[in-house]
This record gives sequence, structure tokens and C-alpha cells, in this order.
Amino acid sequence: MQALGFILRRTLLLAVVLLVVSLLTFGIVNVLPGDVATAVLGDMATPEQAAALRERLGLDEPLAQRYLAWLTALLQGDFGTSLQHGQPIAPLLMGRLGNSAILGLLTLTIAAPLAVALGIVAALRPGGLLDRLIGAIAVGAYALPEYVIGLLAILAFSIWLPVLPGTSLMDPNENPLARPEALVLPVCVLITGMLAFISQITRASMIQVMASPYVRTAILKGVPFRRVVLKHALPNLLPPTITEIGMYLGYVIGGLVVVETLFSYAGLGQLVTNAVSYRDVPVIQATVLLVAAAYGIGNLLADVVALLLTPRLRA
Amino acid sequence: MSGAAPSARRLVPGIRPGDLPGAFIVLGMAVLVVLGPSLSPLSATEFDPLHALEPPSLAFPFGTDEFGRDVFSRVLTGARPTLLLAMAAAALGVMLGTVTGLAAGYLRGAADETIMRIMDALMSFPGLILAMLVVVMLGPAPINVIAAIALVFWPRSARLVRSITVDLATREFIEAARSRGESRRFILFRELLPNVLPIIVVDFSLRVTSGILLAASLAYLGIGVTPPTPAWGLMVKDGQQFIEIAPWLVIYPCLAIALASIGTVLLGERLRHRLALPGGGRMR
Repeated sequence: MQALGFILRRTLLLAVVLLVVSLLTFGIVNVLPGDVATAVLGDMATPEQAAALRERLGLDEPLAQRYLAWLTALLQGDFGTSLQHGQPIAPLLMGRLGNSAILGLLTLTIAAPLAVALGIVAALRPGGLLDRLIGAIAVGAYALPEYVIGLLAILAFSIWLPVLPGTSLMDPNENPLARPEALVLPVCVLITGMLAFISQITRASMIQVMASPYVRTAILKGVPFRRVVLKHALPNLLPPTITEIGMYLGYVIGGLVVVETLFSYAGLGQLVTNAVSYRDVPVIQATVLLVAAAYGIGNLLADVVALLLTPRLRA
Repeated sequence: MSGAAPSARRLVPGIRPGDLPGAFIVLGMAVLVVLGPSLSPLSATEFDPLHALEPPSLAFPFGTDEFGRDVFSRVLTGARPTLLLAMAAAALGVMLGTVTGLAAGYLRGAADETIMRIMDALMSFPGLILAMLVVVMLGPAPINVIAAIALVFWPRSARLVRSITVDLATREFIEAARSRGESRRFILFRELLPNVLPIIVVDFSLRVTSGILLAASLAYLGIGVTPPTPAWGLMVKDGQQFIEIAPWLVIYPCLAIALASIGTVLLGERLRHRLALPGGGRMR
């Protein structure tokens, strides 16, 4: 019952967050100095061209009215029209969203358990050889931007030792799972970034849990060590770790944008970087909103899972 | 007066051997930022078609790019548009965060609510996406990239500073200052600020690392910098198409980015250790 109330409240909060995000996105695009018409046309545009575009995009209407019109259209599934392709944005976005989701979910399902396991192993003997090794790798993986790791991986595994494709270049409507070998490098790069952060977070909380009285009691009364770790410590470790993973999703999304661009993978990230170079403002605006929404929903899901796994509340 | 504060720590005790690797790298990078262009043996931007795409040699230690520009000179010159940007953004973001965090944490009530809800709203965007949107709308210029990255850091720093200030504000030395009749400004900046300073310093060091990563990622996506600026991220982006025939075009700028961010991570870790702050491995 308690859990249900929490989920309800949290969902309501998400709705508010989404509204605020839409307001902010709209605000950044329309209120910041530098107007949309100039952003689209570049500095070279004549005043007439700018005026014509403003007219076409309806930029001369009052701000509040435009926001409401945009929001109503959004709620009806109309994301506007791409300036670059001259097509409605919604179908464009949905295909890409699916592709990005495949990449992101693959990464999460492999990286999250692996990172937690590494963090636990590191925490069992803090300062030990394994801990220092994992820590050093984590610092390296954290300090390198995804594209640096990615390019090194491309050099190593598709140029010097040509075993994997160095690009996932594909038709946006193609199913990325049809060519699993093209997914290997992008997923590995994303996993590396995630491992760094989550293993260190897990390590820190695991050290705390292992030092707590109930764990020491369990060890002292002779419970086998493996059982202490898996049955006593882990259930208390998981909920906060999952919440952390939820908050970390923002970085995963940033990583997705970079990795998709690097490997020419037809996802949302590549769509938005393309839109940026064509100054396709409606597409940028729609993608940013969608990405922020995905982030918010991911956060909510992580919180709910964390709650459901909390031993105290499960009974 | 602030010396009587309970948790004031000395910021710079003696240097220990473990500090050296990070310190050396960061010092080296600082030298590059200041002197980079004048240390470069050749021009970072002038074309030299006769020497296009040459592999590393004595004349061109890091090789040349498709326009015959010396990659070594471009890497040296590129420190400024990459690192200075990151540092400025981190400084601006942490400064804004400190002021808002102090104010929200000390004033509480409606001001606190308003400030923190705005911060929450900013944090509901993934960082890179927010920075990207802002730079695209403001146009490509270093100052806009700084503003965009600072906007990403602002709410995160504000949250951190607020959480500490809320706790500090209940301490006796603040009560004492209030009963002495000190002004609000005095309490905020003379009593509270010195006590959050160690945390701000560590936060700043973390932000510099994230700033380098964010700035380099934006540049790699072609956002905020325009050719022929030799920003490292942009060099990687442009060099990527030649990766099979001229890998040095991506390897050296990648190494520069890696070295700079690893240096700041190492120094930041030492700083946090030294100031005995909790939260090991907090990489955000």
C-alpha cells in the first residue's frame, strides 16, 4: 500500500517534471538571445529571408500562445515538421527512439550487473590488488570521453585486427539486431563508461554495509562468507545502487549521443547531431524533449524498482 | 571571526609524493594553456598542401593533417580552446552554485523552495543535451560554450552547497553571529562561505574534469567551435574520416584529452583525500 502511494506520487511528480522540461526547452529555444530564424539560416541571411521563415514557423505570434499550440500538438502526437526533410517529425523520432533504446537497454542489462559485481569484489578487500586494479581501470574509463575509447577500439579491433565492423552505418528503418556484430563495439564502449561509475558507487556502499553491525554479527556467528555477501549484504546494497543507476542515466544518454555519432548508428543521438549541423530547430527541440522525457521515465522506473527491492518494504 | 568556526580545515598542507603525478600533468597543461601557441613550432592553422597527411617524422612529430597542418602544433595550440573553456565553465558554474546554494540553505522557506525547484528543473535534462541545446541557440562562440556548461554545473553545485549549508546554519557560531547582529551578507560570505570552501574546492576539481569531457564532447559533435580552431575534440572529429590511412590525426588529440582529464582526476582525488571529504568515487 505504501509502495503504491509512492509510485502514484512519483508518477504525478514526473508529469510536473515533463511539463517543466517542455517549458524550459521551449524557453531556451525561443527566449534566449539569438532567434530561431537566425539559428536556422545562419548569419548570412537577409532580413527578408529571416522574416519569411519567421512567418512560416509562426514566430510572430505571442510566446504564450505559441507554447500552448506546441504543447497541444505534442500531446496529440504531432511533433512538428522537420525543416531539413520537410516531413513530420514524429515518425522520424519513433524509429530512432527504438534504435537508441536497443543500444541503451543492451548496455544497461550487461553493464549494471557486471558493475555491481565488480564493485562488490573490489569492496571485499579494500586496498587489495583487485580493488586497486578495478579502481585504476575505473578512473581511466571515467576520465576518457566515449569517443576516445571508441576510436581506440575501432583502431584496435577493426583496423589493426579487423574482426569487428568499425561502423554501424545503416538504414534508419533497418533493425539493428539483424547485424549483431555491428552492435558489439558501440555497446562495449558504452559499457566501459558505465562500469567505471557504478562499480565505484557500489564499492563505496558495500564497504559501508560490510562494516555495519548486522553483517559483523552474521560473520561472527559463523554464517558462510558467501552467504553473508549474497543474502545479507546484497539485498541492502541493491536499492540505493539502483537509484544511483537511475540518476546516472543522464550520462548514459549523453554517451549514447556521442557513440551513435561515432559509429553512425541511426538513433536519436545521431538524429540530433545531424539536426544541429542542418540547424533543424524543430527536430532539435522535439528530440531534446523526448530525451529528457526518457530520462525522467528511466529515473522513475529505477526508483520504483529500488523501492520494490527494499527488504523492509517488501514484506 | 571565521577562524572560530568548527570545521575549518587548512587548504594547503605540505605536498606528498602521491600528489605528484596529477600535479605534474595539471601543471604541464597549465603551461600549455598559457604558452601553447608560442611553443608551437609551426602554424596551427596555415595550409601546407605539399606536406599533406604525412606520418610522424622529425619535422612533424605528430604528423600532418589533410591540409598539411602540423598536428603537434595544433595539439599544443588546442589546449587553450579546450582546457581554458573547461576551467572557466567550472569556475562560473561552481560560483553560481555556491551563491545560490548558500542563499537557499541559509534563508530556507520560500526562497529555498523557489531556487531549488528551478535547479531541479535544470537537472531534469541530461547534461550534454542541455549544453548542446543552449550552444545551438546562442551560436558557436567560446563564451556561449562556457555559459552552457556552467548552466549544467550550476544546479549540481547548488545542491551540494545547500545540503552542507543547511546543516551549518544550525550551528552555534552562526547563532552567535546572528545575536551579535551581523548582517545577512556577513553571515553568508564571512561565516558560512569559509566553512564550505573545502567542499567547493573539491567540487571545482571534479567540475574541471567533467568540463573537459563536456567541452571535448561538444567539440567532437561539432557544436560550439568552428574550424580552423584546433580544439582537440574538433580535431578528432575531422581526423576520424582518415583513421585508416592516418591514425595519428585522431591518436594525438585523443591522447591530449585523455592526459588532461586523467591529470585533473588524479589531482582531484588527492585533494578530496587531503580534505578528508566523504563520498569516494563520486564522479559527478
